[in-house]
Amino acid sequence: MTPDDPHDAVVVGSGAGGAMAAWVLTKAGASVLMLEAGRDYNPDEAPMLSMAKDAPLRGVGSRDKEFGYFDATVDGGWDMPGEPYTMAEGSEFMWWRSRMLGGRTNHWARNSFRMGEYDFKPYTRDGLGVDWPVEYKDIAPWYDKTEKLVGVYGTNTGLENHPSSGPGVLQPPPKFRVWETFLKAGGDAVGIPVVPARRAILTKKIDERQACYWASGCGRGCGIGAAFQTTTSLIPWAKKTGKLTIATGAMVYEVLLDASGKASGVRYIDKATGTHKEAKGRVVIIAASTGETARILLNSKPNGRSEGLSNSSGQVGRNLMDTVGSNLSAYFPQLEGRPRYNEDGAMGLHAYIPFWDYGRVKSGEAGTPRGYHVEIGGSFGDPGMGVGGGLDGYGASLRGDVKRRYGARIGLTQRGEMIPNKNSFCEIDTNTKDKFGIPVLKFSFAWSEHELNQVKHFQKAMGELVDKLGGTFTSDMPEPGKAISKGGEIIHEVGTARMGKDAKDSVVNQYGKSWDVDNLYLTDGSVFVSKAHKNPTITIMALAMRSADNIATRLRTGEL
Amino acid sequence: MTDMKTLITIDRRVTLKWLMGAMAVGQLAACGDGAKGISWPELEAIKAQGVGKDPDLLNPVVPWPLTMTAAELAITADLVDLILPAEGDLPAATKVGVPAFINEWVSAPYEDQHKDRVLIVNGLAWLDEESKVRNGVGFTQADASAQKKILDDIAFKDKVKVGLEKPAEFFGRIRSLTLGAYYTTSEGWAEIGYMGNTPGTGDYAGPTPEALTHIKGVIEGMGLTYTAP
Ligand SMILES: Cc1cc2nc3c(=O)[nH]c(=O)nc-3n(C[C@H](O)[C@H](O)[C@H](O)COP(=O)(O)OP(=O)(O)OC[C@H]3O[C@@H](n4cnc5c(N)ncnc54)[C@H](O)[C@@H]3O)c2cc1C
Ligand code: SF4
Repeated sequence: MTPDDPHDAVVVGSGAGGAMAAWVLTKAGASVLMLEAGRDYNPDEAPMLSMAKDAPLRGVGSRDKEFGYFDATVDGGWDMPGEPYTMAEGSEFMWWRSRMLGGRTNHWARNSFRMGEYDFKPYTRDGLGVDWPVEYKDIAPWYDKTEKLVGVYGTNTGLENHPSSGPGVLQPPPKFRVWETFLKAGGDAVGIPVVPARRAILTKKIDERQACYWASGCGRGCGIGAAFQTTTSLIPWAKKTGKLTIATGAMVYEVLLDASGKASGVRYIDKATGTHKEAKGRVVIIAASTGETARILLNSKPNGRSEGLSNSSGQVGRNLMDTVGSNLSAYFPQLEGRPRYNEDGAMGLHAYIPFWDYGRVKSGEAGTPRGYHVEIGGSFGDPGMGVGGGLDGYGASLRGDVKRRYGARIGLTQRGEMIPNKNSFCEIDTNTKDKFGIPVLKFSFAWSEHELNQVKHFQKAMGELVDKLGGTFTSDMPEPGKAISKGGEIIHEVGTARMGKDAKDSVVNQYGKSWDVDNLYLTDGSVFVSKAHKNPTITIMALAMRSADNIATRLRTGEL
Repeated sequence: MTDMKTLITIDRRVTLKWLMGAMAVGQLAACGDGAKGISWPELEAIKAQGVGKDPDLLNPVVPWPLTMTAAELAITADLVDLILPAEGDLPAATKVGVPAFINEWVSAPYEDQHKDRVLIVNGLAWLDEESKVRNGVGFTQADASAQKKILDDIAFKDKVKVGLEKPAEFFGRIRSLTLGAYYTTSEGWAEIGYMGNTPGTGDYAGPTPEALTHIKGVIEGMGLTYTAP
């Protein structure tokens, strides 16, 4: 079939949410048209194992390639020429996009932590935010199926609010490296857990995907298929069914409704020719990423209605959340001059610190209602352009210092829960259009005291840990207000079209189905009700799988 | 001293390509009379083309022209070899192409690099002037001990000579660039002991017995409990 033919389903976006929906539906026998704004891509073009010295400027980030020359991002980043977004006065928001088949799954860090029982019922626990319309146990089987399909390494720790996966679901995690073992010793002494992390990386080969070969940063893309990205898994699998049609360079800007108020398809700009086209389907699924999905809904004006599509609740664009982020870096004289070996491993977390202080959260002593986890970094990695930081002098003594200090620093990165607030949202900026003529998003964003207090908790806890291990922070402890990330900076934006039990205060139901339009579904982070500290993508995929299963059933029964 | 041709063309890379034939020839930027009254003028931003949002990652090219003059490169060569001189089998900084890298860096059309360019181009001129004032000859003609005397006034955080804060800032920056450029080469990896970027099969091997024995000793020496990975 071609993009001009009507399909059973039109899917907008090929990232985590879109590709999962397309795979589940094509596997169930439905024909799917996937519209992707970016270009075609697969990680055969990933520069695996290239040395930094083979890149301009030793591969450091620049305005063009913000996360470094070798980062897989195509035609994207914080700043996209010709595709701006704006910010309300007094607000700062950072929006990372990429325009390529597979979206941001081509270069995400693959950290994959399940949300737990508490995370689905935050309001019930502390009266803040809103509860999800589902419980953990409703989603648990979908997490199992998703993790099994995707391939996630990790262990079941049995810790509070860090649920276990089903038997045989997880792949074995890689061993701790020396600095992780060191950190664990300190953690054990001060009551902070340091446990195996979970990442969407194969440590055992499944199907055509190889096991991790323990080299080459995953952000460059993984050509051997070990690090999960939709371009080496869901998309090629869906193609193999013969049921998937892909149109790249297809910038969708509105959903079309028929006379009865049902979605009949979408309208897009074919970037190669600049022509406006229509794609038709029995069901329309939008997964263009949290911001972009809200933008498409708000820019669709059925019967000229100014509030946009599927927005009778007024919640589209509202409840924008990102993960709370802050960083500390500590230097440990005890790690100086340690024996060398290959510490690349899976080029990311083998261990992490899950949130542990639920008891004191409950009693109020923690000073913050919601938790965070800590992602840790150290290692004898590629020395990189930062190797000379903090050094002094010149000549022989300098060489000695470089070697002594190598591998003695550990970075501690907070990743915490944000509670939705009324000051954080996106809307259409009626004064600004992108190069295609499509009105752009305008962001408003603010943290509340809850997030700032959480940063304080993190700083204090890490202070105890670092102290126990005889380390010192490499810079003064910043004020929480200075330390906290900018909105969007952690690239976990979610929540702009939340799900709920009631059409009055939510945009979609628990299956991602629009309350207002019966055959319109959302399957990306826009449907999140809260932003637990757990990185969102594994949950996006589990929910997308559940939604697509629901859609497949409805297509089969003729309901759609 | 390394001859000019080597300085310009040592290409430690297999794949990275530069735009050639763009080397500027000429005098050092004249910026003041004598080291004391030297100014650090702002330089015009480089308007060349950057790498763009979708470069070919497997065939990297540096698309901007290189801008350092032969004289600037010569001073750079002496300076980076004072920062990282040869030691035993370990090559000096020029031998692994550090001056060529610094040329690439200061010629880039990006903001961060522009800031460095202002610091470095002016800093090199300052070094030369300072040498003329102190030694009667330019930096590259001065002998090593005279060169080091100048560095001793700007290279150590706690001992920067009053009034030389700007040259010290310049030195700190070029030192950092030199170290970064040097330790990202194969020679630098070997020296520092980076053993990665090497694909392996089977499970991740993890720490060697020697590395484990060492960390166990460290942990237990601190009165903490060691858990084998
Ligand atoms: C460097 C980095 C590290 C990350 N690390 C982690 C991590 O460790 N763990 C984690 O859980 N998450 C991580 N994330 C976040 C993760 O990448 C996202 O949560 C995830 O990719 C979101 O999936 P999505 O399907 O909503 O959007 P995307 O993956 O962004 O896909 C959306 C797709 O839709 C396309 N599109 C957009 N607009 C249109 C339009 N108008 N018409 C047609 N197509 C359109 C885009 O081009 C894109 O391909 C990371 C992100 C980055 C950038
Ligand atoms: S570290 Fe492993 S998973 Fe990551 S890119 Fe390399 S081979 Fe792939």
